[in-house]
Parts: sequence; structure tokens; C-alpha cells
Amino acid sequence: MRLFRLLFYYEYLHFKASRGLLLLTGLLLAAGLYGIYYGTAEVARQRRHLAELPALGRHQVAELQVKFPGPAEAGEIGYYHHNYALHYPTAWASLALGQRDVNPYYLKLRLLGLQGQLYASENVNPVKALSGNFDLAFVLVYLFPLLIIALGFNLLSSEREQGILPLLLAQPVSATQLVLAKLAFRLAVVLGLGALLSAVGLAWARVPFDGRVGLWLALGGGYCLFWFGVVVLVAAGQRSSSFNAMALLGAWLTLVVLVPSLLSVYVAAARPVPQGLALTIQQREAIHGGWDQPKMETMRRFFTHYPQYRDTATIRERFAWRWYYAFQYLGDQSAAPLATAYANGQAQRHALAQRLAWLSPALSTQLGFNALAGTDLPAHLAFQQSATRYHDALRTFYYPFLFKKIPFTHADYARLPTHSFTSPSDTHAAWAGLGQLLLSTIAVYALGLALLRGRAVSIR
Amino acid sequence: MPPILEARNLRKEYPGKLALKNLNLQLAPGEVFCLLGQNGAGKSTTINLFLGFIAPTAGAAFINGLEVARYPLEIKRHLAYIPENVLLYPHLTGLENLALLSSLAGFKYSESELRAYLTRAGLPPEAAGRRVGTYSKGMRQKVGIASAVAKRAQVLLLDEPTSGLDPKASNEFSELLQQLSSQGTAVFMATHDIFRAKEVGTRVGIMREGELVDVRPTTTLNANELEQLYLKHMQ
Amino acid sequence: MVRSIAHKEFLGTLRDRRFAALSLLLLALLLAATLVGRRGYATLQAERTLAQRQVNEQFHHQPGRHPHRVAHYGTFAFRPRAALSFLDGGLDAFTGAVVYLEAHQQNSVNFSPAQQAGSLIRFGELSVAFVLQTLVPLLLIFLCFGAFTEEREAGTLRLLLSQGTTLRQVAWGKIVGYGWAAALVVVPALGLAGGLLLSGEAAAGGTDRWSRLALFGLGYAVYFFVVIVGAVVVSARASQSRAALVTLLGCWMLGCLILPKATTNLGAGLFPAVTKAQLDAAVHEEAQHGINGHDPQDQRAAALKAALFKQYGVTDEKDLPVSVAGVTMAEGEAYSSRVYQQHFAALTRTYERQNALSTWASLLNPYQAIRLLSMGLAGTDFAHYVHFQQAAEAYRYRLVQHLNGLQARMGYGDKERRLDAATWRAIPVFGYQAPPLGWALGYLALPALALLAWALGLSWLGLRLVDKSATG
Repeated sequence: MRLFRLLFYYEYLHFKASRGLLLLTGLLLAAGLYGIYYGTAEVARQRRHLAELPALGRHQVAELQVKFPGPAEAGEIGYYHHNYALHYPTAWASLALGQRDVNPYYLKLRLLGLQGQLYASENVNPVKALSGNFDLAFVLVYLFPLLIIALGFNLLSSEREQGILPLLLAQPVSATQLVLAKLAFRLAVVLGLGALLSAVGLAWARVPFDGRVGLWLALGGGYCLFWFGVVVLVAAGQRSSSFNAMALLGAWLTLVVLVPSLLSVYVAAARPVPQGLALTIQQREAIHGGWDQPKMETMRRFFTHYPQYRDTATIRERFAWRWYYAFQYLGDQSAAPLATAYANGQAQRHALAQRLAWLSPALSTQLGFNALAGTDLPAHLAFQQSATRYHDALRTFYYPFLFKKIPFTHADYARLPTHSFTSPSDTHAAWAGLGQLLLSTIAVYALGLALLRGRAVSIR
Repeated sequence: MPPILEARNLRKEYPGKLALKNLNLQLAPGEVFCLLGQNGAGKSTTINLFLGFIAPTAGAAFINGLEVARYPLEIKRHLAYIPENVLLYPHLTGLENLALLSSLAGFKYSESELRAYLTRAGLPPEAAGRRVGTYSKGMRQKVGIASAVAKRAQVLLLDEPTSGLDPKASNEFSELLQQLSSQGTAVFMATHDIFRAKEVGTRVGIMREGELVDVRPTTTLNANELEQLYLKHMQ
Repeated sequence: MVRSIAHKEFLGTLRDRRFAALSLLLLALLLAATLVGRRGYATLQAERTLAQRQVNEQFHHQPGRHPHRVAHYGTFAFRPRAALSFLDGGLDAFTGAVVYLEAHQQNSVNFSPAQQAGSLIRFGELSVAFVLQTLVPLLLIFLCFGAFTEEREAGTLRLLLSQGTTLRQVAWGKIVGYGWAAALVVVPALGLAGGLLLSGEAAAGGTDRWSRLALFGLGYAVYFFVVIVGAVVVSARASQSRAALVTLLGCWMLGCLILPKATTNLGAGLFPAVTKAQLDAAVHEEAQHGINGHDPQDQRAAALKAALFKQYGVTDEKDLPVSVAGVTMAEGEAYSSRVYQQHFAALTRTYERQNALSTWASLLNPYQAIRLLSMGLAGTDFAHYVHFQQAAEAYRYRLVQHLNGLQARMGYGDKERRLDAATWRAIPVFGYQAPPLGWALGYLALPALALLAWALGLSWLGLRLVDKSATG
């Protein structure tokens, strides 16, 4: 133990004397802090925009009240009035923004057919979306391995190349002790930095202190341990520093870049998503076909879904709002199988990606972070479902007005249903990611230690 | 007195090459054994076997009665090693390097004690606090010697210690070695330098193609006779 | 002299088994990326072409309808993929595929591939551009980091210099030699790309495509030149191979990973953009109460009606030869579209400001220069995307105004009547013509100049540094 402390202390001296490593660590600290700032600022911006939407809604209500000073036909109001389905981020989203920047975080819904409104996109700068988010998860998943590589590529080779190894090993110290002390110091630096950044990030994002904190730290820590395992594996080969640097960077490139992008190609090919294009076209055809269908027929089909309005007056006029909304609804119904297939296809695609994520610990970790933060595709699909239910609630609210010909008064605006959705953390998926990560970590250590045990440390 | 360093049928083979052929040797405390031989004769292999850096194919090496292969860490408390080119951490000072090496060996010295060891090994006092990156080869070697002295080694293993040193430094080194041996430290030194061997050694051995072909006490020969003997064996 | 050193380096590189293995791997990746990219291109393109044809037919085969119904029925504009997008997908994964074109409102371009995928897509796509921009430089770094340090460590540099060569000649020789080696990896892939382009529907826009491909290749040649010269200069200045390698890898990480992301994110943070809801609300607000005095729409409509009466010298709407509703509709559309255009232009300007930081960063970072250049030439950059949006909006406006015109000419009581089915067949459908190379080049001046500046600056300043570096 004394020896260990001593070696540890000297590792600290070496680290302190190495300007390059200090600079790199400082850079990473700065990058991490920027990531936290960026993530929280981005989420704050989204929250601000979400908070502004009710005001936009109130403004519009005021406008409608001017336009319809007295009791109005509910159909008119349903046509013009914008309702907002809001997808609030969890506090965790600041740390892993996931897909929250490319998927819309609110939807503007009118009483019209839902399928034409459900897939609207938000204003997104595609250049920024392509570059991706510089959040804490990015720093941990992408950049931390690079620090670990920089700290570890000459784990043993540096002593060998500097020619100090013979002299060191002529002391009563074994190579294993030496490697362990070096590893422990580097681990302390990396995990310390990771823990510091996570603590700052968690505090800054005002994350509630519960089990998820442990899960986050376990994912981050496990991921760092995995990369140290890779370092041990490469060091066990006892090659030159240059070779180790290449090998480690190759491993990084493979696991962080190549495997995910190849997987992306594979997943897209293995789970082709029925195109959204067909769905929108189908919905438009059905809805606009409604104009040309006999009204009786349309209403008959509608009443099979809503028998409670069967007894309402037969439509004789050229246009009636309840008929208009009936064929809007039927349009949605006709596109429903396509919409379900589309949503299921996306969910299956994500599930496959999650199942195959063990191929790259970077992927396991990132998906785990995103699941924890509720910022991945499933969260968006859940929001779409929630928005669909909101649209149902709106229809349920309006239908009595329409079918029972109740005038819509100014007081009724306040009775309109509102919507707010916060995607929950998918801790189940995060645990699954952690499980995959731990398995790869154990595998890489077993391999590394087996290699290290198999051969003596070469001095030169 | 039991031997402090011993080889019993010590043998090292590499695939297709015999590096050391059944070496038998005993060194008593205070003895200075100089091993002469050409490059590749097996001198460094012998030293590495005593250090436990490589495992013998057959036979065994002993330091202070302990078998090297069985007690790889324990034996290192009794020996010190000075390679041909003492390489140290360039960004640490001479003092820091010495503190590291001696504390790894289990000795905790104050700074003034460390300085004293360095000065005794011949390092200029003002150099002790400078980074080793600025040292000459001879200065680094003195740090190596200081570390050997500081760990109170009973055996010194030296691999071509004087090659590349200027005559003055080489001479100082010889004096220090004689001083240590007079205090009972055994020295095993591999060298090319016949005259230095004659000067500091109590016994010389000549090694050829992994075999110790001749061992003589230095008192029985003068330097010229030793050179003749050496050349005779090399033919 | 330069030639013989180049020859030596080239041979040495070919005989290096590690390089051979790495470059074979890279070549395989490049070829795979080309084929995968081409396949993905073909699939998406077929899907979109089919969908566009379907909606066009639907539009043409409408029954007799009132023109405003047709305006609400609307149509879709699908964004065709650019011919070279299989080499560099650029922004395509993050830009929508289809926009619904209808009366009164401008819809978002929806269904981007990124929205249909999980965060897997954020790890990047395996494309030819990715391999060329990110992986080939890494190969070149591994190839070049020991250019001088290894010769110095082995003592062969002194040997070369003692033959009467200068350091600069040695450097140029090495640069040329490594350049040949790099070409061995890259040229086959670009050859395959050319072949695929030829085998595809080569007829349309032939020269434009070929000149884009040629410039694409040229751009990457300059980029690789910059990387090789940079690596050789670093190697000449470094004390050890290890130091050179670490420095170069550090530059690679900074240039290829951190800077591009950091500058784009920083830019986006500095110039916040409005949301779609804000944009729509602002357009609506201004279209209602806009610049035309503060009169609400109803009053404006009344004024329009009065003006029509005056113009045709009538006092009753029944006597007007035009439909008041149609004329009002056309006026309203013209007005709100103008307002929308202003807001859309402002949004685009905000995005351009956000992106400006990373565009200017191409002066500091050749990677960012080639990235922009590559996307621009492949037709998948921001400018091309905006071009499509504008083309779709221009078509929407023309279509809706054409239909409003038809309605106006129907005269009084148009609501009760329909136009017959043949009317719709006479209306031209949406056909997107991607902008020509000359147009694209206008947006690429800065990155192109930045890349050239790097090439010239390194050949001049960098080689001067080589002159001054240690010989032994």
C-alpha cells in the first residue's frame, strides 16, 4: 500500500510536469463546462418558447373574440383556434439533448384532421443539426475516451522508450504494481473530472436527487472504465507508443464512429420504415374526398364511431361544420393503419438499434443517457401519442357544440382542454444500456488481463 | 562465508540460439567480478537473469541465497543495477529521481541525506536540483550509483558502466567501486574494457558465445597478459 | 532529386505492411460507402419521384371543382436528391423531404430522415465525404508523422543531406511520394463514383454533374495536399516521432471533431432563431394589421370592393365581370405571401448568421473548408436547401394565384359553380430544377479561398520552417 501511494504520488508528479496533458485536461474541463452551459441554455430556450405559447394562444383568443363578438358557431372557432400540445423537457434533458433539437417540442393543433398536423417540423437550422449538440453527454461519450487515450497510450511504453524501465524494475517493484498504480492515477484523474463535471451539470440543470443520479454516474463511470480496459488491452501488447496511439485511436474510431454509422445503415435497411410520405398523401386524399362524397354516406360512417350523435338533425344545407369535421375525422381514420405502421416502424427501428448497441459501448452509453433524459425517439413517439389523445379530447369537447348546435360563447374559450407532456426517464432502457456496457467492460478487462498474464514485461 | 551471488547450471536458450551455456559461478561479499566478452557473448543475458528480467531455461540464479525466479521482488532489495546508459525521468530533478528510486526500495531519506548521497557519488551539488533532462550521461550515471548506494545493496550489477564516459569520470567511477567493495559490496560487472577490469576486478571471467571459458584472479596476471589471454580466447 | 526521394518514399510506403493494410481497409470503406450511398440515393430518389408523380396525377385527375377547393386540396413538393448526394449527403439527413403546398399558409418541409431515426443517426453517416474528410487525413497522419523524425532517429537524414540535397528538397520529395500513395487510395473510389454517375441517368444535366464531380475531386486533392504538407512540416519540427504523432493527432481531433461542432453550436447560441409558432404568429399579425395602415382585413376587403365598383362603373356586385371573392383572395394571398417572404428571409438570414462563424472558421480549419466545399458541390448544403424551399414557395404562390385568377374570372356567384376537370390538366406541375454549378460556386468562394490559402501558406511558410529545422 505504501508502495502504491508512492507510485501514485510520482504519477502525479509526472502528470504535473507534462504540459500537454495538463492542457488537454484543462481543455476537456472547459469543453465539459461549455457542454453543460450549452445544454442548459438550449433546454432553457425550449422551456421559454414553450412558456410563450400559451400567451400566443391567449392573444389569438382575444383576436377571435373581436372577430366573433357574440356567440359563434363552434365550427368556426375550431377551424381557426390554435391549440398547443407541449412537450416539456425533463431536467435531465440539459445533459443529453438527444433528438430534442430535430423533433418538434410542441405541435400546433386545430380541430382539423390530425395526421396533417402531427408531423409538422419546427424551424431547425440543418447545419447545426448536422453538427450535433455539444452537450455533456457528447463530452463524456466522444471526448473522454480521447483523454483516456492521451493519458494511457504510453502506459508502459513511455518508461520503456525513455529507458527507465530497467532501473525501476531493478527495485523491489513488480510491473503489475507499476501498471496498477499508473492506471489508478489516470483513473482518478478521469473519474474525478467526470464526477466533477457531472456534479456541476446535475446541479446546474437542477436535477432531482434520486436513483437516476446513480444511474447517470454508473453509465459515465462504466464507460470510462471500459476505455481504460481498452488501454490495458493495448498496453498488454507491449508495442511502441506510436503503435499504441494508432491502435487506440483506431479503436476509438471503430467504436465511436464506424460501428454506429454502419449500424445506422444496417438498421435502416433491416427495418424499413413505411414512409411518412404515403401517409400524408393518403390522409389528404381521404379528407378532400370528403367534399365530394354524399353527406348522408359520410355521416353514416361517422355515426358508427360516434353513435351518440346519431339522432342529430339530418344535414340539408350545402355546408355544415359537423359534416366538415366528420370527414376530417374519417380522413384520419382512413390513414390510421398507415400512421400506426409508421410509428411502429420507427419504434422497432429504435428497438433494434438498442438491441445491437452492445456492439459499441459508446452507443450503449449514449442511448442510456438519452433514455435517462427522455430525449430519444421513444420519448417523441410518446409525445405524439399524447398529442393524439389531446386531439381526441379537443374533438370530444367540440362535438357537443357542433352536433347539438350549442353556440360557442366567450366563456367557452377558458373551458378548452389544454395539454402538457413531459417525457419520463426511461430507466428501464438506461439499465439495459448499463448492462450492455458492463458486459463489454468485463470482456475487455478479462481479455487484457489474460494477455498481460500470458507474457513477461519486456524491458526494452 | 556463503556466496552473495551464485549461478548454478544457469542456462538460457532462445529459439535457435543458445544465449548462456550452463553457468556456474559464486561471488563472495567484497568481491569484484569483471565479465569480459564481445557483443552478444551473453554478458547482458547473464545480468538480466540475475535481475529476473528474463527466466532461465534451466538452472537457477541466487542472490543472497534466494532463488531469483522464485523471489523476484525480494532479491531486488539486495541488489542494485546500473545499466550502460542510466536513463531517468527527464522532467524530474536528480533529487526527485533518487527519492523515487530509493523510496521504491523502501528507504525514506530526508532531502539533505539524498543530497549527501548524490554528492558522494560525485554529482556537483548545484546539479542535484536541476531537471535530469539537462544532465550529461556521466551525471545520470552518478544518480544511478547514488541510488545503488542509498539502497545499501549488497550486490551491484553493472552493464558496461564505463562505456562512453570520459577518462576522468571513468576513473572516479573506478575509485567509487573500490570503495564500495572494500565495505563488503559484491560487484558483478560486464565490460569490454580489459584495463579497467584488471584495475578494479578481483577476478575476471571471459565469456564466448554464451560460455564462460576462463576465470582468473587478477592478481595472477598483468594487463598485457590479460589482453593476450582474451585475444587467445576470441580466436 | 525531388523525384528520386519521392520514388523512395512511394516504394517505402508500398512496402510498409501496416500502410498497405490500413489503406486497403480504407479503400474498402470508401468503395462500400460509395455503393451504400448510391443505393440509399436510389431508394430515396425512387420513393420521392414516385410520390411526386402520384400527387401530380392526383392533381391532374381532379373532378370538376371550384378553384378554391383545388387551392385547398393543394399539392406536394418533394425534394429530389441531388445527383452527387450519394458522395456527400451533407444536410440531407436533417432537411425534410416534402412540403405540402396549399392556399393561405406556408408549411414546413417535413419527414427528414433524422426525425424517423433515433439518436443513432447523430453518430454520423458513413459516406464517401466522411471517409475522405475524416479518415483519409488520419491515414495520411500515420503515413507522414515519421517523415523526418524517423530519418533523424535512424541517422539517414544526414546521409541524404550529405549527398547534396537540401532539407526543402527532401520535404518536397516526401510530399510528392506520399501524395502518390494517397492517390492510390482515393482515385479508385472516385473512379467508381464516376462510373456510377455514368451508369445512372446521365442524360440530364450531364456537364453540370461532371464539372461538379471534377471540382469535388480537385477540392479533395487540395485538402489532402494541405494535410500532407502540414504533417511533413510538423514532423520536420518535432524532436521525436512520438511528439510529431501526438501533435498531429491533437490537430486532427481539434480540427475534425471539436472545432466544427463548437463553432456551429456557438453560432447558434449567439443568434437565436424564432420558432415556427412565433414566425407564423408574426406573419399572421402583420398580414392582418400590417404596413397598409392599421385597417383590419374586413375594412381592406370593403375598400377593394369599392375600388372594383369604381373601376367597372357598377353599383351592384352582380354586375361585376369578376368575382369579388376571387380578387380579394388574390389580394390577400399576395399580401400575406409578401409578409411571409420577409419573415422567411429574416429567418434564413438568422441561420446564415449562425452558420457564418463556422464558415469563417474554415480560414482556421481546412476541415471546415472542405466540408462546406464538398456539400456545396454535392448540392446538399444550406444554400441548396433554401433554394428548394424558395422554389417550392414560388410554385405554391404561382399555383394559388393562378387558381385565384380562375376564380375571379368566374364572375359573380362563383361559389355555386365548378370548373371542369380539364382545367386542372392544363396547370403545370411542380418540377424542381436544382441550381447550376455557377450558382453554387457563388456560395463557396470563402471556403475555396480558405483551402487555397492553406495550400499556398503551408507550401511557403511551412517549407521555410522545414529549412530551419534540425538536420541530425
